[in-house]
Amino acid sequence: MSQKNDDGKRSARARMLEERAKQDAKARKVRQLSAIGVALAVIVVAVVVGILIQNNRSSSYDAAKDAPAGAVGTNNLLIPVGASNAPSTLTVYEDPRCPACESFETTMKSTVNQLLSQGKIQVQYHIVSFIDRHDGGKGSKNGANALACAQNAGHFHNYHDVLYANQPQETDDAWADKSVLIGLAKQVPGLDTPDFESCVNDNRFGNWVTAVQADFDKSGFTSTPTVLLNGTPAYPTYNNEQISPANLVKWVDAANKGKQPASIPPASAAALASPTAHNNPAPSPSGS
Amino acid sequence: MITAWISTVVRLALSVVWAWAGLAKVSDPEAAAQAVRVYRILPEALVKPIGYGMPFLEIALALLLLVGLGTRIAAIVSCVLLVVYIGAIASVWARGISIDCGCFGGGGAVAASQTAYWQEILRDCGFLVLAGWLVWRPKSRLSLDGWLAG
Repeated sequence: MSQKNDDGKRSARARMLEERAKQDAKARKVRQLSAIGVALAVIVVAVVVGILIQNNRSSSYDAAKDAPAGAVGTNNLLIPVGASNAPSTLTVYEDPRCPACESFETTMKSTVNQLLSQGKIQVQYHIVSFIDRHDGGKGSKNGANALACAQNAGHFHNYHDVLYANQPQETDDAWADKSVLIGLAKQVPGLDTPDFESCVNDNRFGNWVTAVQADFDKSGFTSTPTVLLNGTPAYPTYNNEQISPANLVKWVDAANKGKQPASIPPASAAALASPTAHNNPAPSPSGS
Repeated sequence: MITAWISTVVRLALSVVWAWAGLAKVSDPEAAAQAVRVYRILPEALVKPIGYGMPFLEIALALLLLVGLGTRIAAIVSCVLLVVYIGAIASVWARGISIDCGCFGGGGAVAASQTAYWQEILRDCGFLVLAGWLVWRPKSRLSLDGWLAG
């Protein structure tokens, strides 16, 4: 409060103090605003840089280079088993670590293999790997990559059945250790080669595994096993009937009515019917 | 000033929450994108940028709160983000979709019996209280803000 007839000196001092207080307040305001500015800049830069980093890290999948030999379908994301000209297609989404898939395999495996050997169906596998996200770990991705390695070497069907027969508990991430997957490959005659081992150890088909999973993410299917018979969901039910070995045969025969099964040479038919029949740990040079 | 010390504790607690949330999502960009996708709110074109960027936004907030720089603005952004999260979870719940919120990594579809929407929303409301306190009382000890203010 300065008054006109106050002592000039004091009013000057008061004015000076006021001025300084104003200056201080202004400086504080500037500091506050720059803190806010820096904070916002940190946030924006972090997000932009983050998106760029993650974009770089998310694998760019090139179907021609990154898929295992013999994969089919859009972008070569499917692994086919059986005759390509079979009249019906069984589509199977499976995660190597999924216990429900293991029970599906245990119950249905011999029926599916029999239908394959009769040329009635072709199975198309989507080897997905999302359990690692839910349970933590690496077993799904390692297992899926090892299956791709087996496909690349021409032993997918056999190795697939071996893996499900030896699946660890879902909570036990045994396949985080790649040597376990290589150990199981020793049961498949001709599979355990140096090339296969380096394929498993180097995660050679990692980009393909990621692409298969990304495709599953967008498919709208949310669980495994997801099984489709000619595009219609067949697990756990198909047209309100429970899946079972007898029912699956019945459904396939109904779908194939009036169509010729694919003709399959006897040797291949035997291998399709029981892919693991001739497995033994003794290394044999025969590669079939 | 007891409130300054309370604010300090709140600031560091919220920093830990964001750091935990962000770091859990940063390692697997595809999983983070899927966690966003299953909410079925955003179009596919936005799923990836949001899924990829979100963890970095959370980590940036964690860092700002840790050093106490721009505490009030960081707290305001935290509030906005938490309100968005709560709204997204509520919307999924209302639409009868069964997912895991993916708040601290993971995420994706789960069985209907596995949903925990109540718990997820309550937890986020708790974090919202922390962030709200900081908007109201941003002054805290051991902070860059305090050091700048002299």
